Amino acid sequence: MAELLASGGSMEMVRAAFDNGADAVYVGATGWSRRRAQYEMDDTAIVEAERYARSAGRILRVAFNTLPASTEVPLFLARTDALYAAGVRDFILTDPGLMMALKNRHPDTILHASVGCTIINVQDALFYKEAGASQVVAECRMGKATMRRIKAEAGVGLEVLVHATTCYTLLGRCTMSSYTKYGHRVDESGKDHFPGSPNRGGLCYRICLSDWDQVGAAGELEASGVELPNRAYFLADDIPDLIDLGVDTIKIQGREYSVPLVGRMVRFYRELIDACVRDRAGFRMDPWRERMARIVADRDAERREKTAGLISESLDR
Amino acid sequence: MCLGSPYCRRVEGNYAEALDLLPGVVSRLHAAGKRAYVATPAVPREADLPHVARLVDAAAAAGADALEIHNMGVLRIVREKGGFVPAHMGAYANVYTHLAAGVMRDAGAVRVRPNAEVSLEEMAILAREAGVEVEVLVHGKIPLGVTDRCFLLTEPEESDPKCPSACGEVHWLTSRQWVLKTVGKGVLSGRDMCLLEHLPRLVADGFRVFRVEGLYETAAYRSEIGAVYREALVRAFAGGSFALEDRWADAARRHAPRGLCNGYSFGTAGRMYVGTVLQDANPEV
Repeated sequence: MAELLASGGSMEMVRAAFDNGADAVYVGATGWSRRRAQYEMDDTAIVEAERYARSAGRILRVAFNTLPASTEVPLFLARTDALYAAGVRDFILTDPGLMMALKNRHPDTILHASVGCTIINVQDALFYKEAGASQVVAECRMGKATMRRIKAEAGVGLEVLVHATTCYTLLGRCTMSSYTKYGHRVDESGKDHFPGSPNRGGLCYRICLSDWDQVGAAGELEASGVELPNRAYFLADDIPDLIDLGVDTIKIQGREYSVPLVGRMVRFYRELIDACVRDRAGFRMDPWRERMARIVADRDAERREKTAGLISESLDR
Repeated sequence: MCLGSPYCRRVEGNYAEALDLLPGVVSRLHAAGKRAYVATPAVPREADLPHVARLVDAAAAAGADALEIHNMGVLRIVREKGGFVPAHMGAYANVYTHLAAGVMRDAGAVRVRPNAEVSLEEMAILAREAGVEVEVLVHGKIPLGVTDRCFLLTEPEESDPKCPSACGEVHWLTSRQWVLKTVGKGVLSGRDMCLLEHLPRLVADGFRVFRVEGLYETAAYRSEIGAVYREALVRAFAGGSFALEDRWADAARRHAPRGLCNGYSFGTAGRMYVGTVLQDANPEV
């Protein structure tokens, strides 16, 4: 049966996700994941979360899914060594070089290729398998035929995001945010930080969600208020198909949302998946729609508020 | 010269689609003493992979000097076919670390173009540690994003009458203080990357491969900017004092209606210009 993976932006969120039915929770190591520090965890918190997961018979995955600077590699190895010594075995990575280095160092680690790898075809999946990943995250717009092919031919687990955003460009292949505002500082431990770049562990300012005009060569207005689509989605209708496809992990993204909202999302998907598995032939989506609509409305309200703040932040000089 | 477009298979004049034309154009470039590289699709969905396989074979048969690769699956296809054509990793291959470059080197890459966000300082480390050539974008629009859905069309690309002409026109996206250029399936910087005044530093740092990006630009842009950099590089490699010629600066400004920047080269936001000579195009710097 497909595993339900949820976000853990804090210890409180980790507990809420597990308590509401997540089989696994992912957290970001401070400075090393695609969110800002307030949604990441230091090693002490990660070890506490790992113990909580283990005591419940569940799994904790730790994301080191930035694309760092070469000079950060020794820090990456030292930090993952420490977590490994504390019992952590499950990691989420993007850089294929870091994957290979970690796998060579600790062959019993379980590595998942992050959504930042932008895996869009079966050959991509095979590449990351050869780099050491045992599971890959499908790019957010991947069709079911490709998912089926990866399941049949690649010999890796497949993870599908059911709650996430489809960026205007492909996630992991966009630097629009850092084009507008970007920084670089090195902290006291020698770790580099790149605010403005989600690929490098800073936050995305979501400038695609600003108000855009399209202008022609001579400066003539071609269209005003054009949308660069960056939409949060909440898949539910696809869950039965994903289960039929043999998808290994169904993932709920959202470390930046409030703990109660994440708890409700996890509970919704847990019950939906269980109902579908219990009676696949008789399963109907209709009874779930009203509850889903309430969650989506609350999610959108939280997202709108955050987006406005991020765009405003990107304008600071 | 890099043939073809990584952004869209339907773009007009895409040699990476017109496989029967490849031998002729590669031969002409070789006869002129040039090297011929062929771009592969940056976002090849599963349905595109059979074409990619044919493109790799055609490029090899035509004698192309390298394939420009952005997608790891395409790199794997090239390797599985025996690696008869060297691989150059493109801007969307997300090369940030020497370890990633090493993995790609082991899969057949002989050259990498680091992601746009990677600074010159990081590139020098990467080149030293990974043992691959590093290509530096010295001039032109910076690639900022890629997708497989055309922003300029309202209908599916097969039926929209605006395809493929729409991306042959110039379209800017403007908001607040920002300007971007859209080419349908790609987002480029509004400003033109320009490292003209920094060429002596690049030469001193050991870089030997410099790219002037001409995708979606006019023939005049390619020839005039290309000529400026050829002359400037000769001077930079000669050593001694290096001063920008007024005509170089004029050409750079004339072809950059939205101004100049030098990307992330010095660790700043991509749209900023760091320097002392051409910054007048950016009043806020």
